[in-house]
Order: sequence, then C-alpha cells, then structure tokens
Amino acid sequence: MNLTEIKSSLLRITSILLVLFVAACEKNEPGIDDSSFDRKAMLEFYADEMIVPAYSQTLSQIEDLQSKAQAFTALPDSLSLINIQQSWKSAIISWQEACAFNFGPAGEDGLRKSLPEEIATFPVSTSKVEDFVGSGNFNLNDFNRDARGFFAIEYLIFDETRSISELVQRFSEENRKSYLNALVENLKTRLMQVRDSWTSSYRSEFVNNAGTDAGSSTSMLYNEFVKSYEGAKNFKLGLPLGLRPGQTSVDATLCEALYSGYSFNIIKKHFEVMENIWRGGENELGFRAYLKQVTGGDALIATTESQINLIHNALDAISDQTPMKDEILINAAPYISLHTELQKNTKNFKSDLSSLIGIAITYSSGDGD
Amino acid sequence: MGIDVKSFIRNSFNKLAQPVNAAPFVSFRIVFGFLMAFSALRFVLLGWIEDHYTEPLFHFHYYGFDWIHAVSASWLYMIHILMILASIGIMTGYLFRVSSILLFLCFTYTELIDLTYYLNHYYFVSLICFWLMFIPTVDKHQKIPAWSIFIIKFQLTLVYLYAGLAKINYDWLIEALPLKIWLPAHDDLFLIGPLLTLPATAYVFSWFGMLYDCSIAFLLMYKPTRPFAYITVIVFHALTGFLFQIGVFPLVMIGATIIFFSDTWHENILKRIKALPLIKEVFVFSSSRDVKTKSIFSFALFKTFFVAYLLFQILFPWRYLLYPGNLFWTEEGYRFSWRVMLMEKAGDATFYVKDSKTGREGIVDNREFLNAHQEKQMSFQPDMILQFAHFLGEHYQRKGVNQPEVRAEVYVTLNARPSKLLIDPNKNLMLEKDTWKHKSWILAD
Repeated sequence: MNLTEIKSSLLRITSILLVLFVAACEKNEPGIDDSSFDRKAMLEFYADEMIVPAYSQTLSQIEDLQSKAQAFTALPDSLSLINIQQSWKSAIISWQEACAFNFGPAGEDGLRKSLPEEIATFPVSTSKVEDFVGSGNFNLNDFNRDARGFFAIEYLIFDETRSISELVQRFSEENRKSYLNALVENLKTRLMQVRDSWTSSYRSEFVNNAGTDAGSSTSMLYNEFVKSYEGAKNFKLGLPLGLRPGQTSVDATLCEALYSGYSFNIIKKHFEVMENIWRGGENELGFRAYLKQVTGGDALIATTESQINLIHNALDAISDQTPMKDEILINAAPYISLHTELQKNTKNFKSDLSSLIGIAITYSSGDGD
Repeated sequence: MGIDVKSFIRNSFNKLAQPVNAAPFVSFRIVFGFLMAFSALRFVLLGWIEDHYTEPLFHFHYYGFDWIHAVSASWLYMIHILMILASIGIMTGYLFRVSSILLFLCFTYTELIDLTYYLNHYYFVSLICFWLMFIPTVDKHQKIPAWSIFIIKFQLTLVYLYAGLAKINYDWLIEALPLKIWLPAHDDLFLIGPLLTLPATAYVFSWFGMLYDCSIAFLLMYKPTRPFAYITVIVFHALTGFLFQIGVFPLVMIGATIIFFSDTWHENILKRIKALPLIKEVFVFSSSRDVKTKSIFSFALFKTFFVAYLLFQILFPWRYLLYPGNLFWTEEGYRFSWRVMLMEKAGDATFYVKDSKTGREGIVDNREFLNAHQEKQMSFQPDMILQFAHFLGEHYQRKGVNQPEVRAEVYVTLNARPSKLLIDPNKNLMLEKDTWKHKSWILAD
C-alpha cells in the first residue's frame, strides 16, 4: 500500500464512520431521553418508598409485639396469649417487606451476619431454647442464632400439641417469661439499629452511590434481591419439600414457621414483596422501569410478567387452611409446582436482568482489552 | 515463485540472531517487572487469595491441567511474596534469570488453579514471562539478540490484531452490541457520562475500537505515526480502564507498548532513569561480561521451537473454524484467542441430580459449592457446566445417591437477546466427556 492508498482508505473509513454516526443520531433523535435512566431517582424511590418504610413498619409491629409480650408475661392468660400470637403474625408478615435489603446496615459485617440470619433463622433448635429457659443463662450475641429471633419467639408462644391453657400454664415459669421478653427486646434492638442507620446517614450514602459497578447501590440491591428470591425458593420451599439431591422425602420439620402454621402465608407474602421490588411499587419505578430503558428490556418484561402470572396461579392453587407442614405430607404437588414456577422465573430476575442492565455482580469480574 | 523460501528462512534466522540495541528491552523489563509486582500486591491486598483460591469448595480446571490444585492459604501467600520479589528482580535486573523462572512458574501456577478467573491479559502475561526465561542477559556492549525484542512485539501485535479482527462481526459493528448495553450503565462518569447513553456513542466506540485494535500495532511500528499512536494507546486504555472492571490490564498494555519506540528514545529514557538517586546501586542494566548472545538461538531445537511457537500463536485462535455453530454461543475455541470484551453474556444454570435406582431427582443450589464469580462464569460456558456436573455427580454419589444422573437446564442471554436453552436439558452429563471434539449436546443458537 502506498501513501495515497492509505490516505484514500482512511478517507473511506472516516466517511463510513460519519455516515453511521449521522444515521444513528437521526434514528434516535426523538428518543434521546429514552436511552438514559435516572438511577439515582430509582435508588431514592427504593430508599424512601420501600426500604425505610419497611424497616419502620416492621419496627412498629415489633413494638406492638413487645407490649403484647409484656402484657402476656405480666398476666398470662388465654386472651393475652392470643393477642401476642396475633401480634407475632402481623410482625412476621411485616418483616417479609424488609427481609431483602441485606447490605449496608443490614449486611454482614465481621461477626455480625446479615439481618435475616440474625433475626429469622429457622429451623429453631428447641433444645437450645429449652436449655436457656431452664438455666436462665443465655447470651443473645453468641452464635446460637437458632435459639433467638422471630422463630424462637414463635416456638415459645405457639404449640399446637398443647392446649391454650397448657401453653399459658407453661408461662408460670419466670425464666420462660424473661427469655421471651429478652428475645423480643433483642429483635427490637436489631431492627432499630438498622432503621436508625438508614434514617441518619446511610440513606444519602445509598442514593449517591448511583453507579453500576460492583459495590454500587444498584448492584447490592440487585444481589440481595436475587439472594432473597432464591433463598425463599430453596429454603422456605425446596428443603422442606425434599427437593435437594440426597434428600429422599419431604421433611416437614424444615418448614419455616413450624409452630404457628403460618408458613404458606409467609411464603406468599415473600413472593409478593419480591414482585413488588421488581416492579417498584404501584408506579413501577424499580427494576422494571430500568428495563424499559435498555436494549432488549421490553421482551424481558413481557417474559417476566407472564411467568409472574403463572406463579400467582400456583399460589392461588394452595390453600392456607391446612398448615404447610401437614399439607406437604398429604399432597405436596401444589407446593412442588409453586417451586417449579418460581424456579422458571429465576433467570428473569437473575441473569437476564443483570445482563441487560449491565450491572457488575462481583468484584474482579470481566475481561478486558 | 519469486520467493526462495529457504533463503528467506535463513535470512530471517540470521536477522533474529543479530545483536541489537538492548535499550527497548531494558525499559520494557523495568516497566513489566514493576507492573507485575504491583499486580501481585494488589491481588493479595484485595483479599483475592481467599476469595479466589482457598474459600471455594470446588475449582474449575483448565483442560489437561486437572492435576493442578490450590495449596493452602499460607503457601499461596508465600507464592505471592515470591512473585513480588521475582517481579522486583525483573524490574531491577538483579538475579534476572532466577527471577524470570520463578515469576513464570508462580504466576502460571496461580492462573491455572481455577478457569473461572481466566483473563486474556493473564495469558499474555504468562507468555511474556515464559520468554523472559530464555531471553539472554544484556551484554557489556548493551546488546541483545534481535529475537528477544521481536518476540515481545510479535505477541503484542497479535493481541491487538486478533482482538480487532474478532470485533468484525454483525453484533459489534452493525448493532453496536454489547457497547449499547455497557456504555449507558456508566452514565455517571465525569464529563462524558451523559454522552454514553446516546446510541451513536456506542457506534462510534464500536467502530473506533475495531479500527484501533486492528491498526494500532502497525501505527506503533511506523515511526511517523508512532507518537500519535501512543497517545491513542493511553487514551484508549485509560477510557476502557475507567469504564470497565478490567483491573491492571490497561496499565499492562500502556506499559508494554513502549517497546515499539526507537532505540534512541529508550536510551534517553534509560539515561534519565539512571540519573535518579540509588538507581545505579540497585539496578543491573547489563552484564559486565561479554555474553555470547547468539548461544541459545544457535541451537536447532530452539529455532524449531521458536518457529513452532509463532505458528501456534498465529493458528490456534482460528481453531474455532473447525467447530460447527456460532462461536459466541458455543464458545468452542473461544479462549486463548485474544477475544476481549466482545460480548455480554449471562446465564442461569439449574442442575438436577437423579438417583438412577430410586428415580428421585433433586435440584442443586449452586451457591452451596460455588462463589458468585464461579457461578456466573460457569452458567454460560459448556465446558465449565460439564465439569460442575461431574463434580456434583461424584459429590452426591459419596452422599449416597446411587449412580447419579446429572442434567442441567441452562438459560443464556447473549447480547441482550431473550435467553434460550444453551444445552440439551435432558442429557445425562455424567456420560459426556470434555474433549477437543464438538460437544453435540450444545443446542443451536
């Protein structure tokens, strides 16, 4: 190639580029705003309309639980027991709204585990709980997370093998009263720390970390959203249903909320919260809105929404009249099909979503030139 | 034919054996050693020894390297300290030969532990370290045989050129994908952020990237274009470094490409470096002896190997042509071919393990065995899917599952297209082996 040839080919390339540039500009001129998405606004929505209200709501339910626990332990009778049971049910449902934002103040930090591990571990070790009640010696900061939190409280106040009066009778034991009150207090403290951190400083840190790299708020929110979704599917459904390799049968003792018979209500609520996070509330300001602005997003929204409908159908096919732990021993099929539909939706919430939005999931991922 | 092949080869060998000014190699070596020390230190400080090597329960091995295992954390720390010391040896020229052998062995070993972390630039670094073991010591006349510099330039040229050729495809040039996905995600970048959301920007970046990669090595070789080309190198790599999570790669390329500069340019630079305090006391710039620079290249065996290496490097990246199907989808022949930042791909892989006696089938929770990075990489690469399937089969056999059958439902999205099944979801992967042959259980794109 001589110099003139080089020059002419350079000219050709430049003109091709120019034409492409102009063509691309023209095609997209009316919709320039369409291609940008205000991630900070999305984060503000999540912080102000979802995360902080969820923590506050849960905290006030726990405060209600505390007053009911105090009333019950002051004067154990069947009415005060039913009151605390009702309050616990409201609190555990409320907690579902708050259980998926496990970063920052609710994330792991040194010895502290993520908030759900700290306050909602199941199955509960009833022997540990009874030991602590028996001895009156316990430490709520140790590794015995299966002896505290929502489900240890549940174990103390629900027991279908005992009549209401028998259950009330058990609370003549002072140690049982004080363990119950200590667990509720501990629950309140943990929630309050997280809520206060959000309302004081973390909110601005969260909304201003508006990038898409690993460690950005969008990436953390997405990661925990997926983790919560998969956790619900794998641990609240998969394990009790015996769907893990190596499991040979249904294992009802692995159900969440074993004693209150409230497992299905919790699962249902958990999924509704997942859907709501994906949609971003009534005005759809969350991941769904983000998807609407990116290449291939509309197709994924359609796929996701049709799968969400199938999940709703599967949820509707399950009755909450019989507790999950009993129902899955008789007829596990509706629960298994719920698990299947949730499984089919994983890719929509997980790999497809993150790929289209272009968020980095992990540090050190990616190859480069 | 006008070309006499025999005399062409003989002339080439003679040229490659000729002693030339060592200055470009010496400054390359200093920069390369520095960057390697920095990179190894960064790796340790980021806690990646634990994250990458010691915490995962399972490692994906490279084909043919399943005998490589992760040693304990304390040994890995030792190896990284050795790597840093060896890099400093390369930089200063002190114990150069020992350093180069240590660096090659340590670096290549750590890279081979887990396929998850494969990066083209790690492969590049391994290759350069390999040649450093053979490149002769600079003699007292500041000379080095020409092949020493040639091989580095050759490798760099190939990296760029093949990266550029790989970009000549429909998605990259006509659809501006994946940049149309990647760029808007960085709309918060200082100054240029808002521009990145425009589709036109993705087109400009795509075309510029392709033209840049295809031509930059040649523009660096040609003296009149060199200064301009090097400025482009800095701008291009700085930009990609800011935009994407690619670690030290931009620095490595900005550093390595200085080898294209002239002897005088390098002599000037080295003069300035030597004028710095302490440098003369610490650095070894050349041997005091009259090293026989021709020695190793005069062996026929070495010459044969040298030519075989060049041919391998030129041909191996084209092996994908021997496989059916779309390379980006099947990834058969994708690695070790300088295909960098070329596609946006993600998958979701669900593994089912069936007891062949009872017929009971269980669903695996991948995160029980893999970290997020491993799961992400495995979920769209067939050979890794196969490895993980075999691991699961063996794991659950030990747990009492009878002759486990393992199948996987893998949905993959490529460049924002709706996700589709990557492999036959009914195939018992325990019966499949990883070979060089086409994997018939990969479904068509």
